[in-house]
Amino acid sequence: MARLSFAEALVEGMRHELRTDERVFLMGQDIGKMGGVMGGSRGLIEEFGPRRIRETPISESAMVGAAIGSAMVGKRPIVEISFGEFLPTCMSQIVLQAANLHYMTAGAVDVSMVLRTRIGDGPYRGHPQCYESWFAHVPGLKVLMPSTPTDARNLMIAAIRDPNPVIFFEHMWLYHGVREEVDDVPVAATIGKAAIRRVGRDVTVVATGWMVHKALEAAETLALEGIEVEVVDLVSLAPLDIDTVASSVRRTSRIVVAHEAWKIGGIGAEVTAAIAEACFFDLEAPPVRVGAPHHPLPMAKPLRDAFVPDVDDLLRAIRQAMAS
Amino acid sequence: MSRPNGPGTGEGGNLGSTVRIGLLKAMMLSRTLERACCELNPRWFPAEGEEGVIAGAFFGLRSDDTMAPHYRGPFLAYALRGANLSRLVGQALGKANGYARGRALGFTGPAAMGIVPWVAGDLGTTIGVATGCALGFSYEGSDRVTVCSFGDGTTNRGDFHEALNLASVWKLPIVYVCQHNQYSISLHASEVLPIEHLSIRAGSYGMPGLTVDGNDVFAVHTAVRDAVARARNGDGPTLIEARSYRLGGHWASDPGGYRLPEVQEAWRDKDPIPRAISEMVDAGDLTQHEIDAMWDEVRHAVDEAIAIAKACPDARIEDIGSDEVFAEVPDGTSAHLGARSGSWRA
Repeated sequence: MARLSFAEALVEGMRHELRTDERVFLMGQDIGKMGGVMGGSRGLIEEFGPRRIRETPISESAMVGAAIGSAMVGKRPIVEISFGEFLPTCMSQIVLQAANLHYMTAGAVDVSMVLRTRIGDGPYRGHPQCYESWFAHVPGLKVLMPSTPTDARNLMIAAIRDPNPVIFFEHMWLYHGVREEVDDVPVAATIGKAAIRRVGRDVTVVATGWMVHKALEAAETLALEGIEVEVVDLVSLAPLDIDTVASSVRRTSRIVVAHEAWKIGGIGAEVTAAIAEACFFDLEAPPVRVGAPHHPLPMAKPLRDAFVPDVDDLLRAIRQAMAS
Repeated sequence: MSRPNGPGTGEGGNLGSTVRIGLLKAMMLSRTLERACCELNPRWFPAEGEEGVIAGAFFGLRSDDTMAPHYRGPFLAYALRGANLSRLVGQALGKANGYARGRALGFTGPAAMGIVPWVAGDLGTTIGVATGCALGFSYEGSDRVTVCSFGDGTTNRGDFHEALNLASVWKLPIVYVCQHNQYSISLHASEVLPIEHLSIRAGSYGMPGLTVDGNDVFAVHTAVRDAVARARNGDGPTLIEARSYRLGGHWASDPGGYRLPEVQEAWRDKDPIPRAISEMVDAGDLTQHEIDAMWDEVRHAVDEAIAIAKACPDARIEDIGSDEVFAEVPDGTSAHLGARSGSWRA
């Protein structure tokens, strides 16, 4: 067992596949001698060299296109878009090419690639946009957002091995903020499974990324009041594991859905709607959603703190769900 | 028969007679096949007049090279790789026998053909994908190459610039062929390009750029052949601007009205097919009788393909493939598709 940070675990996952599969390579900006943005590829250039750890120009659309094309001729590219904020610059490659190719060619083409990118509020207050729900909306993409070092490593391995395009969101606050004992034997996690991070009988909180940790913190506080919160980490936004969420809701009869992205049109809206369809009559109270307010993301710390949903927001939401 | 000094531009003479005949036949097939698609589908994109670029770019590649044809005149690339013509025509009509089973615009084929398909309506992204194929070839250390064509309008997309820069930085084995037909739907190139020759854009990316007469199939092919040899040799990408003219509309039933008829007529006189024929007859490559026989053969093949495709039912609802969006279903079990007839993976 090694105690790894989220960032170290991500690198471990990539390193494992780079060692075992010659088809795998990584491309992105500053991934070489700088060690990657926030240490996201530290040590890889030293071990694998510039052929497999490829520095790119600032050309996100060409980078994603290059990943798609090289995947089509049998490679297993990982393309790194430094920050999720830059995803709009390569949107057509992702949603028109990567997502469509397998279906549109009636299975003639597989696009086995990983697009990794950083999202969420981070220590530097830079580039924090959370656009993940856009990609869950588009058929043909798998969308992952791990919240633990173990998942970061094992899902990265699974994503690299998956024969489909996988969009891999790495929350920046988790990078150095979360550390855990990670099993020495890397395994490929199963893509498309939510995880129950805390068992509780009274209310289900469904969360993603850093919000999972905030939900666990809120659960500790509420446990002192006798409210037992079940925390479900979505882990995968596409495929969306509604079965796990629904079976939790059938036990607790109450649901709060929380993410850092804007509330309107966020993945929480889909989860809430899917739960209403799946188990409306199991609910004792209306669902409650927690998300960012509907204005652009401000920079200054007091404004940012007010914008990003926090533990207090979760406590309020959970109490609201419990009140009715 | 090879001639030291060919007619016309002089370039054609560098090509052997077999290659010249192959190029002519490719142009004839492209003309006949695409014209048939236009007659059957008013939304098809006429390639008439641009066959010199189309045939010159894609003829003579190795079977393990990748082609990324422009959406205007895409089918020749597939035909050169042995595609069934009735399935291509069926695809253009949304018939059940099309390779894409009714799911795509029509420019796709079996994986084994190694052709970058057209799965979206935007312009420029296929240049990035084709560049990625070249990256794959470079990464594996092989001498495979990619030839990618696109219109003059597409060179104003950021994707064009990003891809050319990336390909040059990494010295990727790719040949970019601009199928310059002077029109972005209704806009003449002079309205949207501030330069006369877009081949000079290659200079920004540190790669050779050259302009050739796109209506001289031998000149186009010679330029592409040399660029392919360069790419195969590890010397990186080339941009070729092959200047031609779109004789038809943007789409088959395009009412036009934005061009001067006399200009169109003047370009019809420069049609690359009669031009090549005249040069070849003069050079003694072929007799008029042999040329008539080539036309008959191509027309017969296309007529037969049309008859088969028209008799085919429309795409079947069971081919909608709601469960075939992913190469593998989310629970990890294999769900590979029946239509898989080969693999891109060498």
